[in-house]
Amino acid sequence: MDLEVRGINKRFGATIALDSVNLKIASGTIHSLIGENGAGKSTLGKILSGVYQLDSGEVELAGQTVTIGSPRDALSRGITIIAQELSLVPSRTAADNVYLGIEDHAGPWVRRGVIKDRFEELTNTSGITVPNDRPVSALSIGDQQKVEILRALARNSEVIVMDEPTARLSVEETAVLKTVMRSLRDQGKTIIFVSHFLGDVLDVSDAITIMRDGKIIRTSKPTEETHDSLVEAMTGRKAGDAFPAKKPPLAPVSVLEVTGLTRGALFSDISFTVGAGEIVALAGLVGSGRSEVARAIYGADPIDSGEVKLQGNTIKISHPATAISNGIAMIPESRKDQGLILDRPIRENIALPYLKKLSSVLMKRRQENSLVSENFQAAGIRALSSEMSVRSLSGGNQQKVLFARSLAGAPTLFIADEPTRGVDVGSKRAIYELMVDLASKGMAVLVISSELDEVVGLAHRVIVMQTGKIVAELVGDQISESAVVAAAFSTKQREGLAS
Amino acid sequence: MTTVDTASKSVNVKSLLSKYAIVWVTILVFIFLSASTDAFLSIDNLRNILDQQSVVLIVAAFTTIVLISGGFDVSLGAIYILAPLVALRVQNNINSAWLTLLAGILVGLITGLLNGVIVAYGKINSFIATLATSFIFFGIAYLVSDGTILRVTDINMRKVATTHILGLTSATWIAFLVIAIAWILLDRTRFGRYIFSVGGNFEAARLAGVRTNRVVVAAFVLAGAGAGLAGTLNSIRSVTAQASDDFSIIFSVIAAVVVGGTSIAGGSGAIWRSVVGVFFIAFIVNGFNLNGVDPVYQRIIQGAVILTAVGADAWSRRDKS
Repeated sequence: MDLEVRGINKRFGATIALDSVNLKIASGTIHSLIGENGAGKSTLGKILSGVYQLDSGEVELAGQTVTIGSPRDALSRGITIIAQELSLVPSRTAADNVYLGIEDHAGPWVRRGVIKDRFEELTNTSGITVPNDRPVSALSIGDQQKVEILRALARNSEVIVMDEPTARLSVEETAVLKTVMRSLRDQGKTIIFVSHFLGDVLDVSDAITIMRDGKIIRTSKPTEETHDSLVEAMTGRKAGDAFPAKKPPLAPVSVLEVTGLTRGALFSDISFTVGAGEIVALAGLVGSGRSEVARAIYGADPIDSGEVKLQGNTIKISHPATAISNGIAMIPESRKDQGLILDRPIRENIALPYLKKLSSVLMKRRQENSLVSENFQAAGIRALSSEMSVRSLSGGNQQKVLFARSLAGAPTLFIADEPTRGVDVGSKRAIYELMVDLASKGMAVLVISSELDEVVGLAHRVIVMQTGKIVAELVGDQISESAVVAAAFSTKQREGLAS
Repeated sequence: MTTVDTASKSVNVKSLLSKYAIVWVTILVFIFLSASTDAFLSIDNLRNILDQQSVVLIVAAFTTIVLISGGFDVSLGAIYILAPLVALRVQNNINSAWLTLLAGILVGLITGLLNGVIVAYGKINSFIATLATSFIFFGIAYLVSDGTILRVTDINMRKVATTHILGLTSATWIAFLVIAIAWILLDRTRFGRYIFSVGGNFEAARLAGVRTNRVVVAAFVLAGAGAGLAGTLNSIRSVTAQASDDFSIIFSVIAAVVVGGTSIAGGSGAIWRSVVGVFFIAFIVNGFNLNGVDPVYQRIIQGAVILTAVGADAWSRRDKS
């Protein structure tokens, strides 16, 4: 089913989200929409799937002009959106979710047998398999996404809009999703892929449409584009190097020294050091125990045994508060779930760990303001004022608030878990510069990242983990994407890794 | 708010309307009753309302803090009954006004501590935990009083609650003091920041170094102390207390706090909101009484009004997303 839009305009208050957009999407293709935050790519996807209504313009579906008044309307015309935040009923099984609202029934009774048969048939024909013996809340994010895709297929959708589907997936899960996308395309479905991840976009698309400030810059084939050409078109600026130059670490003084850290089945016998001015990356697959090690050092989770030395002194960290007072800062994996108090102002979010110093009986607002404004600038937060709620900021700026919070403690060890997840291209570069800058000032930096280019681009040393153990340590010229991947998979091969 | 917010310069009329909706509605109710009901706008009547609401205000002040911290405390009704029974036992033995009040507050502190520890360290949902402790506290109330009515033996004791100072009763002044304390705690201290952060995002607060469990315990302890003080004050004023006394104050308090606009989801709210919520409901009830509305219908209408107020608030918030 070919899809065409002509002269679409959409405003939100004073902001023009889409400005006379024309676009053709051919049936049976994977068509990517890319752009920086606010470029209009998600808005376009949401208009096509009925989430938003257009102000003016036309949508043509299989040669006929149509009005898409609601998601339900879009669904009946064969268009489904799979939103970034999945919308499943957590306590029900995959089949229950897939047929929610369209159950086979006899009178008021649901015909469970028929549903089960139909579910099996659907998974067979689509080739998408998910466990159906447990509630979807017990499934991985990747499997939950597959349930949403099956749901779309069960409703005979021809066009599936996927809004940032890989943002919360691990490397392996992303590879599986891409296989699913290709097979759907081969079955004649059209997929509109809205994404920040340019590697995935180049890998999987048949056509790429680049947007900027609500306008379409161009539509091209992935063979005509490179990572840099996409970045250039998205930002309108010449793409510099993605990463700042590595500066050699300072004198080999260990700031952090971890010996024999063990926690049940999650990780065991972890020993490594991070020196002053050094950026060390903890790499490995999701579930290899990288984040768990970092959280244990920070006191967020307990350990069974092992020792943590900071600047030569053994310290026992049983709560993040102890870590902070010992000069450790951490940016957690999920800024929304573990990092920020979204409805509070930027100021309060930055000052939160340091309130003891900033208050006697009452808060010392003047001292607080000066600490905040200093680090607000150092982290390069772009916001009208530090009184704005964090929720109103873009992903990149939210992440910078967490950087500002960490900087405000003048830490000696800085741990960043997925520091650029869900951050746009421009902010990424700023965050990299910040980290390199911190290291050059003598801070020890420990980075955890699923993005290999980040690991390779930033780290002086890479520690690769696999199923809770350190399997390799790469230094200097040994560091390359293939070396990291080889180490991460060294003993057991897993299928479906694209790299 | 003391600092100038750049973003708020563009605040339009609509957001002023919705942010302070409960204030405007309360003022409208006040004006309406002043115009329609002769006896409403008189010093005596308003003074009475303040005096009657003093105990509600005391309980509401710290209940607001518990709600903002993401908790819920239904046991405050039971503490409100239990505390004065212990306090009157103290009064019957040692005839001291201060020790009596102190005993009531102490009972609140201890019961609140129990609630807080169960919720924070036992990781039990606060609604269920405090529902369970309510039964325990009521049981203890019967034990303390032997199932009898306890009386204040010295009638002079009433002065603690009924002395007129600058035209208002001492109970009213105590309520004002408690509100001021809660307000300052929430708005001007480190503890207040912790309350908002724990209620807004518990895990994020913990990872930012906030001793989250201690904060939760402290919120329940304060709420218990407030309920203990309010219950004791109320019983001294009425000179008697028994285990089967009316504990429905907790419903009025939660209704007032929620009508005021503090979210039961935690992370947002304000003391002034609860104060306005208390008066909104108090004015309506007073209006009904002055106009001789049957108490049975009063309750039905009161419930409908609370639903409308909370519903309108939820509806206006939905726009923002």
